[in-house]
Amino acid sequence: MSLNDPQWGKRGSGGPPDLDEIWRNVNRRLNELLGRKGGTTDDGSGGGGGRPTLPLSGVGILVLLVVVVWLASGFYIVDEGRRGVVTRFGKYTETTQPGARWHLPFPIEDKELVDFSQVRTVEVGYRNTPKNKKENEALMLTDDENIIEIQFAVQYNLKSAEAYLFNVRKPDLIVQFIAQTAMGEVVGKAKMDFVLYEGREQIAKSAEKLMQELLDRYQTGVYVQKVTLQSVQPPDKVQAAFDDAVKAGQDRERFRNEGQAYANDVVPRARGNAARLIEEANGYQAEVVQRAEGDASRFKQILVEYTKAPGVTRERLYLDMMQTVVGNSSKVLVDQKAGSNSLLYLPLDKLIQQSASPSGPGGTASDPSAARQSTPPAPEPTVTLDPSRSREALRNRERAGQ
Amino acid sequence: MKLTVPLLALVVALLLVASQSLYTVDQRQYAIKFQLGEIIETLPNAGLYAKVPLLQNVKFYDKRVLLLDNPEPDRMTTSEKKPLLVDFFVLWRITDVKQYYISVQGDEEAARRRLSQTVRANLAEEFNKRTVHEAISSERDKIMTTTRQKADADAKTIGVEIVDVRLRRVELPPDVTGPVYARMESERRRVANELRSLGQAESEKIRADADRQRVVILADAYKAAQKTKGDGDAKASAIYAQAYGANPEFYAFYRSLEAYKATFRNKTDVMVLDPSSEFFRYLKSQGGPGAKAPK
Repeated sequence: MSLNDPQWGKRGSGGPPDLDEIWRNVNRRLNELLGRKGGTTDDGSGGGGGRPTLPLSGVGILVLLVVVVWLASGFYIVDEGRRGVVTRFGKYTETTQPGARWHLPFPIEDKELVDFSQVRTVEVGYRNTPKNKKENEALMLTDDENIIEIQFAVQYNLKSAEAYLFNVRKPDLIVQFIAQTAMGEVVGKAKMDFVLYEGREQIAKSAEKLMQELLDRYQTGVYVQKVTLQSVQPPDKVQAAFDDAVKAGQDRERFRNEGQAYANDVVPRARGNAARLIEEANGYQAEVVQRAEGDASRFKQILVEYTKAPGVTRERLYLDMMQTVVGNSSKVLVDQKAGSNSLLYLPLDKLIQQSASPSGPGGTASDPSAARQSTPPAPEPTVTLDPSRSREALRNRERAGQ
Repeated sequence: MKLTVPLLALVVALLLVASQSLYTVDQRQYAIKFQLGEIIETLPNAGLYAKVPLLQNVKFYDKRVLLLDNPEPDRMTTSEKKPLLVDFFVLWRITDVKQYYISVQGDEEAARRRLSQTVRANLAEEFNKRTVHEAISSERDKIMTTTRQKADADAKTIGVEIVDVRLRRVELPPDVTGPVYARMESERRRVANELRSLGQAESEKIRADADRQRVVILADAYKAAQKTKGDGDAKASAIYAQAYGANPEFYAFYRSLEAYKATFRNKTDVMVLDPSSEFFRYLKSQGGPGAKAPK
């Protein structure tokens, strides 16, 4: 076999690297072992295996077979994500990476396979789901001597398989204990509000750091990947009060929003009203100025005519005015000379009622009619009185006569 | 061929002797070699060792860091005479295996009991010196390190090193949590009330501010409007003055007529007239005016 070795070595670059390595490994270890301990029983069997060509008897073949099987029992496979830890006579020699490996067979070397990359989890304050509470683990005291309920999980894997295996007994249980003591210490140094609300992330980070520090101090070979807080809340007994405080925060928000809503309603409306005031004022200004100009223009035009014939124009204007005025109003003609000595009774209120009710459109000063009347009727030369009006006039006159 | 049988017998015999005289010490273990009950050698390192069969024997002890868990939390009293439930665990390791064997006969249970008592006593002493707050928060570290140091000094006598003493949990006994919960509750209530009244105050402030804005906006607008109107009035006045200034006397006449017209517009206006007035001068007699007109 040892004669074959160099050939294997030469072909090694082309062939599968694992086998090549293993063969070299076999060779090296055998040499190492034989070199160091010459007097053990292995020497004899090794010698027998070394020169198999000379005595090719039945016993020789049997011995050879036994030796081959024995050597083959040293093969083992390290799965991905694991590590093989090899010990020689109980003493740690090496840690092997995933792949096919070989160690010296049974009595000499032994191996242990350790889950290396697999993520392990420790749960504190609950089991499996946060609903399944472990209150005696979950309750912790804060710096301000309040009690909070905290549930968290620690994910970890290994950073040193041999340390995990050899340095600590029950490492997984220790990780759980360390998780509790670390979290207890971190929470004990923080205020309740910090733990409950703004500081959650930081609490988890600090606990993670402290855990790693402690685990390194004990050389457990454990690597803490993450501390995740599943739930941080006040204990059930005071939950209602805390919920109410949270609600109060929302109430505060609501009050503020209501105030804002009021402001948003009132201020824009006031702006609208202000705009209206200003527009109205602008309108008023325009109106007043335009009217003034109109009036002025009209006056100037009449003035031109007036200066041409003052007397006639004056008379005409006066009579036009009187026609309009007397025509538009109810009138009572009283001859003072005739009735000077008798007391005259005028039922003015009735007169007003009478004159107002029958001639609705003309009498009640509803806006459109008023506007119609106010449009100066002066230029119209004749105003014909409508029948009702003339009747009225007659009646009035009769009454006046009585 | 004649040699094979004795050779095989020799090999078997050798193996038998080897199995009796050779032993391995695991990476995780210490070994103590006894000769007729007397310790003759301690083996701190792993590996293959030999002994004399029958005459000598070997015992193994754990070399790893071991966990000592306190099964039940202990009730400890602080300097304010307040009770606390303290749960701790100890990490320990055999360092001097010979001493360890001599002191506790290699009985791990006995060692645990001994360590547990020492640590508990030291811990209780530390708690006694401190207030609740110190124990929970500021001096938690110190309690642990001091206890570790003291316990370690004692543990040396049994060949053990105290790697660490850790407080797993420090909590209030169930019978004193009531007042704490009550305090927490009242504190929350205070916070809740504060938040609510703060909210109301803020709301009120916003409303008041809005009202103020409204009044100011309207007042500003009123001011601007009045100014604009005044401008208009002034302009109109100027226009009127300019126009009417041409003939004030005619203006007075003309304007009066306009005013009369505007005044008597409705039927409800009742005029009581004297037929002898100037307007009716032709109503009484057609001749009248001729005579009166010159007047």
